[in-house]
Amino acid sequence: MPRPGRPCVTGFGARAAYEDVTQTGDRLSGMELIEKERRRLLQSAARTFGLSGVVLAAFCLALPGVVDPDLLPSVLIVLAGQAGALVMVGRSSHIGWVALTIVLGCGALALAQLPWAQSSSLALSASLAPLGAAGVGAVGMVLSEGTGRWLLWAVGTLTSSLLVATAGPTSGLFSTPAIATLAGWVMTLIIGLWVTVGVQRAVLRIENIGRAHHLERQASETEAQRRQGARLLHDTVLATLTLLAHSGVGVSAEALRQQAGEDARLLRQLRLGSTPMPQFSGVYSLEPVAETPLGTTLESVKQRFLRMGLSVRWHGSGQVLLPSDVLDAFLLALAECLENVRRHAGVDEADVTITQGDDTLRAVVTDAGVGFDPADVAAERLGFTESVVARLHDVGGNARVFSTPGAGTTVILEVPR
Amino acid sequence: MSGRYTPPDESTLGGLVRPAGARSSTRRGTPTSTHASALGSGFLGLGVAIIAALQAMLGIALFLLRLDAYPSVIPVVAAWLLLMVTFLGLTITISASGERLPDWLYAVFLAALAAVVWLDFVAIAPLGDIGRHATASVSVGFVLLVIVTLRSRWEVLLATAALGIAFVVAILMSTPLTPVTIPMQVVIVALAVGPGITGVLLVSGFERMLKRELDRVLVQSTVAAPRLAVGMLASEELARLDLDAEELLDAVANGEAPLPLPALYSSRASTLATELRLHLIEGRRETWLFHAISESEHLGRRVTVSDPATLAGLLDDVQRDSLLAALWLLAADPAGASSTRVVTTALGPLDPNRASTGGRLVIPVRLEVTGMKRNRVDPGVWEALDRVGRYSDSTASGTVVIDLDCAVDNPVDAARPQ
Repeated sequence: MPRPGRPCVTGFGARAAYEDVTQTGDRLSGMELIEKERRRLLQSAARTFGLSGVVLAAFCLALPGVVDPDLLPSVLIVLAGQAGALVMVGRSSHIGWVALTIVLGCGALALAQLPWAQSSSLALSASLAPLGAAGVGAVGMVLSEGTGRWLLWAVGTLTSSLLVATAGPTSGLFSTPAIATLAGWVMTLIIGLWVTVGVQRAVLRIENIGRAHHLERQASETEAQRRQGARLLHDTVLATLTLLAHSGVGVSAEALRQQAGEDARLLRQLRLGSTPMPQFSGVYSLEPVAETPLGTTLESVKQRFLRMGLSVRWHGSGQVLLPSDVLDAFLLALAECLENVRRHAGVDEADVTITQGDDTLRAVVTDAGVGFDPADVAAERLGFTESVVARLHDVGGNARVFSTPGAGTTVILEVPR
Repeated sequence: MSGRYTPPDESTLGGLVRPAGARSSTRRGTPTSTHASALGSGFLGLGVAIIAALQAMLGIALFLLRLDAYPSVIPVVAAWLLLMVTFLGLTITISASGERLPDWLYAVFLAALAAVVWLDFVAIAPLGDIGRHATASVSVGFVLLVIVTLRSRWEVLLATAALGIAFVVAILMSTPLTPVTIPMQVVIVALAVGPGITGVLLVSGFERMLKRELDRVLVQSTVAAPRLAVGMLASEELARLDLDAEELLDAVANGEAPLPLPALYSSRASTLATELRLHLIEGRRETWLFHAISESEHLGRRVTVSDPATLAGLLDDVQRDSLLAALWLLAADPAGASSTRVVTTALGPLDPNRASTGGRLVIPVRLEVTGMKRNRVDPGVWEALDRVGRYSDSTASGTVVIDLDCAVDNPVDAARPQ
């Protein structure tokens, strides 16, 4: 979905705050976390790879005639021990398990060839290759960092390759299994190195994505604030939508079209990131202005209801200055009351009297309509409580409703000045 | 806006919109799903290519050593040449076309490799010991590695399996099986299928790990949010509603929608009004922690949070960061751990009688981890919790319960000038 009109606004302050966070806590623990994950991945890969090598070698060595039958049980026991050590390599990052794997693996390599230099069976050296290359060589994956581990890698490589070579040459002077063992160790080391470097590179990239995402989140927050802040605009849009929800019955089509067009224009302006300024006589100032004159704004409410067929008679004071949030709440409440008159009262005119006290501004909305019993409309007027009373309370004002069936309705709205 | 206005088919109340007041953390969208392969598995592919090249060189050396043994050298030479051309061609194509392998090229590649295997087998079949003499056909298994990062897993595994079957069939047809020859045959089959399987496992593990890291970094950005924040999707949702309303109003204004409105339009208007009202009134009621958990694929699966008083918003940056890290580690499962693990996080209620020194508020936080033993908890969890506040833990029937006391600045004091 496209994001209409999201401005990429972010303050430098916010960015600095983010970098603070990343540099103190996150960068450190984040790097630790991914390093831990990487080790875990390599460890379990080494375990799987190594175990398959051991199983393969055990199968081949167990074939008749490959190893001295008296020695076979001991070879298999050592291999089982090595398998156990490999399982631990998969679980713990302690280098001891790696060393144990190498020692037991080389032990099995030597033991299988006993008595020395007697058998140079092709089958034996072929059976030892998977043990040297994969069974032991697998630990090369976890030996790619740190001098100590490099040293262990070199020792393991040399020992196991030599031990496999002593099983006898297979073609000419060369022992293919020994070369394979050497290659196995080199390849596992490359895998270890490559995954390590690959993770570091990816982490840098992820950090950049994270930074962009952070900015996007802030922009999203700003955008949500901007849209939620455009209350007056949404008030008129909601009023029009509510009219449309009732199919526009009771309002002249021409007036409704004009109103809809006006609201659509405001929404378009909001989407394009500018500040919507209504065309008609009132002033819908969506800018957070400290104080706004009430009189002209009231005029716009009056115009709106006139178009919908409710004529509002205005009494009382003209110019009052109000803080913008108070004005918003006041106008919303007023418009909501008039909307209720228009829809439910069954009359087409209403009176609004505005009076000013020392510290309050009071609007009295009266109509001579059908009225109702405030006691049994709780559920129906839930919207009224939510939108009018709650919002007036927010700015320190309140609303009271007086009505009797058949005798019209009076609503008193009060806000602090 | 040209063309006739038609209301969208989908119900705007469905899917992405969470009903007001629902405080359970459900997953909403997966921000990591788009970045999966763009995170450097291409780099991994380069390493794989190096391994394949290394193995091929060994194979060629082995072949040259045994040159005399072959009854006819030409098929093997042809196999090696074809393999090298395929390998080089593939490597160059991949690096030139930005790590992509179209279907037709994949088919050509597989056909070439099949030809290599066939040529090699034709040459060595008369020798009666496939295991001992196979060279180019073994390298095919390694060259297959190059596509591990480019094609889906099952495609690679299928190709590997086909190679393994070809080997088994060739061995059964040409090689007498005795205890002396069997080890070599077994080893050669393992050598042919091993690289593919290892490569698939390793690359998928690598991608899973980076995806999770990306998820973590994206969620990390919630830490810097104000006390109550809108989620990533909230403003998008609001923008969408505004746009829908604009289109509907426009349609009414320029007469596309007849007046009085037909039922379809009026119900649309009423839905829009309801949703818009919800979004405007509801606004910001959720904390960073809620957003972190609902936006994260990793956390959302296991972690639930209950924070009716939105106390999580009071934690400072370090506490938030550490709490998130601890939850992250608690939700993480090393392969094979029980899938029933659930981490329940509850904040509050505040105890009015308690206040730590300096008038700071103490927020009680309780983490309940089911399906985990105390000794399997990552030590990093305790380290992180240390930075959140004082904690104590207990275990009861497979559930680890951690109680935390987080001291935070009282928001009432923060507003007061010092």
